[in-house]
Amino acid sequence: MGLARYVVLRVVWAAVVSLVIVTATFVLMAAAPNPAIQEAATQAALEGGDPQQAVERERELRGLDEPLHVRYLDFLTSIYTLEWGWSDHRSQPVTEALVEGLYYTAQYSIPWTVLTVLIGPLVGVYSAANMYSWRDHAATAFAFFGYAIPNFFFGIVLLLLFGVWLDWIPVVYRTDVAVFSLENARQLALPVFVLVTGSIGAVMRVSRNESAEFRDATFMKTAKAKGVSPFRAYAYHVMRPTLVPLSTTLVSQLLAIFLGSSLLVEVVFGIPGLGRLTFEALVAQDTNLVLGATFVFTFVAVIGNLLEDIAFSVLDPRISYDDR
Amino acid sequence: MTDEPLLRVEDLTTTFETDAGRLVAVDGIDFSVEAGETVCLVGESGSGKTVATESITRLIKEPPGHIEGTVRFEGRDLADCAEPELREIRGADVAHVFQNPQDALNHCYTVGWQIAEAIRIHEDVGRSEARARAIELLGRVGIATPGARIDDYPHQFSGGEKQRVMIAMALSTNPDLLVADEPTTALDVTVQAQILRLLDELKTEYGMGVLFITHDLGVVSEIADRIVVLYAGKVMERGSAADVFERPSHPYTRQLLGCLPGIGPPSAGGIPGTLPDPTDPPEGCRFAPRCEHAVEACFEGGQPEAVERSPGHRVSCIHYHDGYDESVLGEPPTRLGLADPKAEEDTRTGGDADDG
Ligand code: SF4
Repeated sequence: MGLARYVVLRVVWAAVVSLVIVTATFVLMAAAPNPAIQEAATQAALEGGDPQQAVERERELRGLDEPLHVRYLDFLTSIYTLEWGWSDHRSQPVTEALVEGLYYTAQYSIPWTVLTVLIGPLVGVYSAANMYSWRDHAATAFAFFGYAIPNFFFGIVLLLLFGVWLDWIPVVYRTDVAVFSLENARQLALPVFVLVTGSIGAVMRVSRNESAEFRDATFMKTAKAKGVSPFRAYAYHVMRPTLVPLSTTLVSQLLAIFLGSSLLVEVVFGIPGLGRLTFEALVAQDTNLVLGATFVFTFVAVIGNLLEDIAFSVLDPRISYDDR
Repeated sequence: MTDEPLLRVEDLTTTFETDAGRLVAVDGIDFSVEAGETVCLVGESGSGKTVATESITRLIKEPPGHIEGTVRFEGRDLADCAEPELREIRGADVAHVFQNPQDALNHCYTVGWQIAEAIRIHEDVGRSEARARAIELLGRVGIATPGARIDDYPHQFSGGEKQRVMIAMALSTNPDLLVADEPTTALDVTVQAQILRLLDELKTEYGMGVLFITHDLGVVSEIADRIVVLYAGKVMERGSAADVFERPSHPYTRQLLGCLPGIGPPSAGGIPGTLPDPTDPPEGCRFAPRCEHAVEACFEGGQPEAVERSPGHRVSCIHYHDGYDESVLGEPPTRLGLADPKAEEDTRTGGDADDG
């Protein structure tokens, strides 16, 4: 069937994209001077040794004396076998550091994504069904507020309000509480709320405007003439076609926030997740870790785009796979 | 007929609140449909035909719409029915087929799903039974290999096939009244004829009353038992198909017939002038601004009282009132080539290629 073939092709394409990214990274790394080698040379000179010899030893140690294609294959192998090297600044393997960061990032990212996916379309369709009512206006105002206010700033304000003045939630993030515990829920409530506010606005707007179009479609009149109740008509006949354009917005919105804002939110709320890990690796000039984190973000983006395309084609029966 | 007709609409008035003011789409019209007959609502677009039929089961959105009058259907007054009660009547007893099958089906669901939905809303049947019935219906309305097409999406059907699907969906719960709103207008001529023939067959088979809306008098001549001519929300003339085609009495009906190929001198490009502004209908006869026989009295008061010319044939024109001379209207257009409305059908629809 056309759909299966399309999905396979799309997955292959995603793999090609990731390969291109990895290759580009390799080229950049190979072209740039390696600070470790400079350092070895300086070190040797200071200690009265032969800088030239030290450079060679260092190159040999790092495998830089091999021909380029061998180094490229080695690089590829290590990337795809998840041997991403040693993080000097964290004193642990890069993958281990990343998994640790991911563990904390996931704790707020999963609830935030789920809430956005569930609430956004529902509120949007509800708004369309009650267009220009006060509820619709309230939802619109909220959407624009979330859209306009910078996430990190909103986070700081909320932290001040609820953490410092009202003292309702802990200001310092604790890593020693259980994942499924009230304490954890309390300390994650604000970051989740901030991110939902940021991502849900666009989702609400798109679902409202798209479903407003379907609400007035002739097939809604057909549904009514068949005896379909208004609730069922919205739940099936409006929601379903709205999901097609919405899937694109949803994924791109979630990705944009994940890649753009989670770092800031983690810094504000002191969550030791991927974002803060990347930030600290950058400050500490921990090349391996920066590289690893970049790969994680890149792969999330590639997979997100893949899911977006697949969702769109699965959802819209009119798409012809041959033209794409 | 002495007993109550299937549908009797009395003094139906439907208005809409718009920014430009109150729009009177349908203004106090009466008509009725008996079981097993086809009644055609005829008029130019904007004459209120669609609004009138969509007022029957209140498909009109209220507000901005507002419906008044009596709609007696199978002994009940639908005007008094609450929404849940109406929902049970919609689809189950009164079914609709709309003008544009392209938009009338939801593009995200298979046709089988959409037909089964209509069945399962009104009857307590399982998925597989609803599906089996949907296949049977698709076959009945002339879709070849219905078992293979049931899981196809609307975009995989041609325009004519989509309209067949709509008809199958309308028939799925065995309605007593089928409202067909310009069901063939969006289709090719050959497909049009096939759909008309199908509807006529099904009317007999299911014993339904059919309320058929069209602006096309050629279609009317093929299917109508009775005709209601609407103009700007008012009934101008109504009567049996024979009355209206053989003794068209209202100047508007005569002009409509004059536009039909094969009848009278061809008046180029339809009737001159446009429909009056529905937010500000003229005094007197609605047709007066475009009527070549209008006299001063036509611009005063309300729409002229309807005069019964023969039993069931009523005309709303002042020239049939006492004290006026109907001969000023001249002779009705002669009917060339439309000797018998029904006899024409076979030559027109016979031997058409299948749509698709
Ligand atoms: S009432 Fe007057 S304006 Fe109306 S149709 Fe008759 S002649 Fe024409």
